[in-house]
Amino acid sequence: MLTKIAGGDIIDPVNGRLGKGDLWIRDDKIVAAPAGGSADRTIDAAGCIIMAGAIDIHSHIGGGNVNTARLLLPEQHAAHQARPATTPLSNAGWSTFQTGCLYAKMGFTTVVEPAMSPGAALHTHLELADIPIIDKATLAILGNDDFLLSMIRDDASSHMIEDYVAWTVASTRALGVKVINAGAAAAFKENVRTFSLDDVVPSYGVSSRKIVKTLQAAVDSLGVPHPLHVHCNNLGSPGSADTAAATIAAAEGLPLHLAHLQFYGYGMEGKRRFSSAAARLAELVNATPEVTIDIGQVMFGQTVTVSSDVMRQFSARGSAQPKKSVIHDGDGNGGGIVPYRYSKDFYGTMQWAIGLELFLLIDDPWRVFFTTDHPNGAPFTAYPALFELLMSREARTEMIAGLSPSAMALSTLSAIDREYTFEEIAIMTRAAPARLLGLTDRGHLGAGAIADIAVYRRDQNIAKMLGQAAYVFKDGDLVVQDGEITHYRWGKALRLNPSPDKAMLRRLEDYHQQRYGLSLDWFDFPDSAVAREQHFGEVACRT
Amino acid sequence: MAVAWIGNRETLVERAAAHAAALLGSSRCPVFSLDTDIHGTRAAIALAERVGAAYDHADGAVVAREAALFTDKGAMTVAPGETRRRADVVVIVGELPKIHHQFVGELAETVPDLSPPLSGRNRREIFVVGSNETTAPPLSNGRTATLLFCGEASLGATLAALRAQWRGRQTSQPVSNFDDFAKALEAAHFPVFLFSGGATEGLALEMLHGLITDLNRKSRASGLHLPASEDGWGSALASTWMTGFPLRTGFARGLPEFDPWRYDVARMIAAGEADLHLRISSSIVQPQKKRNRMALIALAKTQQPVAGAAVTIAIGEAGVDHQAVVYSSRTGSLRSVDARAASELPSAATVIRLVASHVSAEAALPC
Repeated sequence: MLTKIAGGDIIDPVNGRLGKGDLWIRDDKIVAAPAGGSADRTIDAAGCIIMAGAIDIHSHIGGGNVNTARLLLPEQHAAHQARPATTPLSNAGWSTFQTGCLYAKMGFTTVVEPAMSPGAALHTHLELADIPIIDKATLAILGNDDFLLSMIRDDASSHMIEDYVAWTVASTRALGVKVINAGAAAAFKENVRTFSLDDVVPSYGVSSRKIVKTLQAAVDSLGVPHPLHVHCNNLGSPGSADTAAATIAAAEGLPLHLAHLQFYGYGMEGKRRFSSAAARLAELVNATPEVTIDIGQVMFGQTVTVSSDVMRQFSARGSAQPKKSVIHDGDGNGGGIVPYRYSKDFYGTMQWAIGLELFLLIDDPWRVFFTTDHPNGAPFTAYPALFELLMSREARTEMIAGLSPSAMALSTLSAIDREYTFEEIAIMTRAAPARLLGLTDRGHLGAGAIADIAVYRRDQNIAKMLGQAAYVFKDGDLVVQDGEITHYRWGKALRLNPSPDKAMLRRLEDYHQQRYGLSLDWFDFPDSAVAREQHFGEVACRT
Repeated sequence: MAVAWIGNRETLVERAAAHAAALLGSSRCPVFSLDTDIHGTRAAIALAERVGAAYDHADGAVVAREAALFTDKGAMTVAPGETRRRADVVVIVGELPKIHHQFVGELAETVPDLSPPLSGRNRREIFVVGSNETTAPPLSNGRTATLLFCGEASLGATLAALRAQWRGRQTSQPVSNFDDFAKALEAAHFPVFLFSGGATEGLALEMLHGLITDLNRKSRASGLHLPASEDGWGSALASTWMTGFPLRTGFARGLPEFDPWRYDVARMIAAGEADLHLRISSSIVQPQKKRNRMALIALAKTQQPVAGAAVTIAIGEAGVDHQAVVYSSRTGSLRSVDARAASELPSAATVIRLVASHVSAEAALPC
């Protein structure tokens, strides 16, 4: 079927197309305007902005820890309940089904779950398979697992380590690799309670820095498009800006992605010894072109922190609101689930301001990514309000008026005039994530791209405009109209498929037999286990 | 071989499914009892939403008790693999279901290889907390677990006494062998408490996690959740991601509502609230006393109609007759299992989807 989206303002930074025009879709792909072609369907987009479907590179939407968070907080789901709709299970609060619907309504068509425990890969993919409409992808967690730490300790060759990383990515159907507080979860099991970049994991004699550098090199050598995704040490601690700065410096010319930098933007100035170090970090990021970051913006209200940084979450239990939590020592990382309410007090205000400072002080929208680290900084449903804050100085000023003055005095936010343009928003939420993830088929509106398209009706109220898309196409299928889901369809789980050496398979089989008393089969699964047809979509590694 | 019956009369599966759908469509208060794999659960919950049913596990009380630990209190837990590799002290809390005895035996026969050296010991210390009648799973080489009990006290009270004594407080009656326990904990690097909801009531589970929290003030310890029913816990997890809530959820008002008392399916049946019972189990469904006019739809691995059932459809056993995804307490996550003795019997999910296809609805089923 040939569809014409007519007369909208097209914002496609990748192809340099900015301004009024028509966009053509044939079936599931964007095509050049056909000569003399007449459309089977025409969408009137006059007064609308047209962008590629948005891509979220860091949102915890599925897997063991996320599900445990749901289990821990049934009272929160009730608050999310909507009225019955006509799509199955679309009214279920904070469920997989609602996740897909809410993302699609905002014009998002691809979301990455950035923390998949390799041991729970099947569980994660089953959850993702129940998220309708959008495409999904995962990053597999490495860096606290005994097999890798032992190899590093024993000076295994880089080829062996690459084989292990390749096997993990392939068997878990992941799109990349994440390391979370490298070495800390292993150290925590030996009763270590704090852990920094140059601290050493007991029993292994391996520093956190060494783990990060080893994985960074392996990911790069394997041609994994997405750089190693790093959750640094000392998350949330006053003075953690030093850790982030040291990690940025450790990139040393190879690509590195730092997750939720806001949670490391904490200096130690002021009487509370808690201040904004955002300007310092933004300067470092600006000066380090091999580094990309996402923010992890905080917004006020109730949420739940979900992290595989088990050491950090253990130490955060005292601040749980409501007062309950789950701490799990897993094979490798495990995780912690600690509910939390961000209030407009000094600390909440400071965190909120630091995130926005980072957004606004990092010059290059190709290297800063739009996230709340859902649900850690805020639920992803806060995105429209966040877009407004980035695009309107006036909106920020209004917000600041109700916040802690003493916190704002330690932040540069009030003095920042920058307002994001729609083109910068399109870069940050479409073009740049696609490039960072190696997804050449999306993030732009050029001929040949998959027809993931978001059409927003212009409105003075930016949050309203970007929160309820007028039209959203997924693979050319019109799935949202006037902010409502029209019907379900099933997206894909995007994965890499590197080929590990067969000797590594034998090594891993022996390892699992000896150490766990189980065959490797217990930790692997066929594609058919997910029980959705053509569920996985393959992405190529760099050659 | 017959595989479907309406009453006692053999029929085609398609016809039995259509009749089941008609019964569901006219039901005022349908309830589902699940004892199936992840895909069977997913299909059943999708059908429950469509017909406004409440659903629970066939042995709902223990699954609800385990879920309540997480919904009400939270916990500190550890993976089975880490338990095998790190636990130098193993504490069995109450009676464990037989399905976990093999793993306990494995722990008794192996030594941790990731904890620091065992100070000259070449085996794990094993305790069991309970009453003086509690028996631990059999251990190898004639080993026995050291029993921790507190007179006639319940398991919860014994755990409370244990926790109090560990904190140096007075108790009205001391826990037996406490000194051995305390000595073992002092030397331990990573003690692990094995628990299940089978024999451990809710407050006891909370007390256990209080003890584990106390231990973590200065050292490490954790709890290994060994579900009383693996299929039950798998269904609880699938329900949680699909609806936001674990089992004992109902769609009576269109929305998923979680209420462990209200949607206790056994209670609903006993109270005469339910007028239709869909029972999904690969094992033979026991004939039940007919209550009021409640109809029974039985999906079971059977060669004959279930007594008293309005509809019976034969299904295969997950992981035996067909490939399945199940919760594995041995890995602490979901696992894909191949068919051990593949047969043509359909899976629960297949039959439920067939029934659902006959239920009129505005939207397509998600699962």
